[in-house]
Amino acid sequence: MTSLTFEDTAKRIRSLLVKDFKLDTGQLTLDARLDELGVDSIGMAELIFSIEDEFGLKLTDAAVQLSTFGEVVHFIDEALADRHATAALPSKAQAVPTAT
Amino acid sequence: MRRVAVTGIGLVSPLGHDVTAVFEAARDGHSGIHRLQIAGAHRLAAPLAATVQFDGTQHFDPLQFRLLDRFSQFAVVAARRALADAACELSDAQRDRAGVFLGNGMGGTLSMDEGYQTLYGENSDRIKPTMILKGMHNAPAAWIGIENGWRGPNLTYSTACSSSSVAIGEAWLRLACGATDIAIAGGCEAPLSLGSLKAWEVLRTLASEDTADATRSCKPFSRNRSGMVLAEGAAFVVLESWDRALARGARIHGELIGYGLTTDASHIARPSVDGQAAAMTAALASAGIAAEEVDAINAHGTGTQANDVAETAAIKRVFGARATQIPISATKALHGHLLGAAGALEFVLSLLALKHNTALPTMHLDVPDPECDLDYVAAVARAGAAGRTMLSNSFAFGGTNAVLALRAVD
Repeated sequence: MTSLTFEDTAKRIRSLLVKDFKLDTGQLTLDARLDELGVDSIGMAELIFSIEDEFGLKLTDAAVQLSTFGEVVHFIDEALADRHATAALPSKAQAVPTAT
Repeated sequence: MRRVAVTGIGLVSPLGHDVTAVFEAARDGHSGIHRLQIAGAHRLAAPLAATVQFDGTQHFDPLQFRLLDRFSQFAVVAARRALADAACELSDAQRDRAGVFLGNGMGGTLSMDEGYQTLYGENSDRIKPTMILKGMHNAPAAWIGIENGWRGPNLTYSTACSSSSVAIGEAWLRLACGATDIAIAGGCEAPLSLGSLKAWEVLRTLASEDTADATRSCKPFSRNRSGMVLAEGAAFVVLESWDRALARGARIHGELIGYGLTTDASHIARPSVDGQAAAMTAALASAGIAAEEVDAINAHGTGTQANDVAETAAIKRVFGARATQIPISATKALHGHLLGAAGALEFVLSLLALKHNTALPTMHLDVPDPECDLDYVAAVARAGAAGRTMLSNSFAFGGTNAVLALRAVD
């Protein structure tokens, strides 16, 4: 489950949280609840913007409902994998949700 | 009706932060107005403002700071100072009957301006998700309530330049009738975005720069006045029932004895002598005093052609022949026009004028105007002239006139 890309995704999102919400890296275990670390619903909306910019993604509103750090990483990792898979199909390339 | 005491004062003002220092600046004629340094200032005909020396990051942790527009930062810090000055600790049950009454004219205009710059100026959809929460008018009052756990009324009044006088007056009504036991009342404003400055400029309300000395650009009641100078800041008072204040041994700064509120209902921008005079008369009636008992007045005194003539006429109508004997102070010459926070700052200056029995000067009144022929305490403070009872006038675009009546402590 913890693929190389997963580890890289986790590291990059962890960096965003440390920078934007002044958290310590050590607090950001996979089962850490973000709301308990001060990232409330407003913070999630901000975090999604940061993640979209960092990864060149356009996320759905469902991302706001994620609660643990691990869930966020999984969600993004899957979104990245979907993009990679879809990008391999030239006929669908136009529909790929990517960077704004 | 219960008597209402002022037991705390808190300021974030262009004349300073310490209450005594602010009074001394107003008394000694030290102007807080200067040339404004913001991006795009060169696009303003007269880049003038009265700004506050203030770094919000010194007062809030980063997570809270990102949610606070500058107008909320001012409000929360000024409210903290007022509560510290009042030295009151409330029990949990008392917090149910403790209220926040706040006046504000323009909302979180800096945050809105920033968001629109992103949206339109940069053609980007990356507006901050906090924009609504920072920009909404009731954010400052909400933050004061949250910080202190005060669960009574939490109300924001927006009546342009009379907003915070309305807030103080409405708090007084609730305290006087017993619906609320203690209140934080005042106002805040942080209007110095390019968008808002430009909007005021094109309305032809702003002062041109005094080429000899920019700090003297606002000249209320002077024939060469050219308009108002925008300012930022916040002012709050703690109000509580007189008996409660006495019972807990609070230091009482003064008594709020009356509040007059009228509406012009005539023109969106042109002041009405009828409406202003009626507000002063209503304040006297609510205080149960005669016009003869008013010793001094803090004028709305914006330094615009329209205001100063109308206000002079309104004072004459209310006070008759005695109008010429009443010292009238227009302190906006020094602290500028704080819009929704102006009334609260001027109420505080009036309290201090009474406390020190000193009529504050109207600075930069160099050229008498035949249409403004009252005693404006030109240029020099007058010791012994504030007396015991004052009115503080606030008038506004939209026509909401609010006059507060206050009295010194014996």
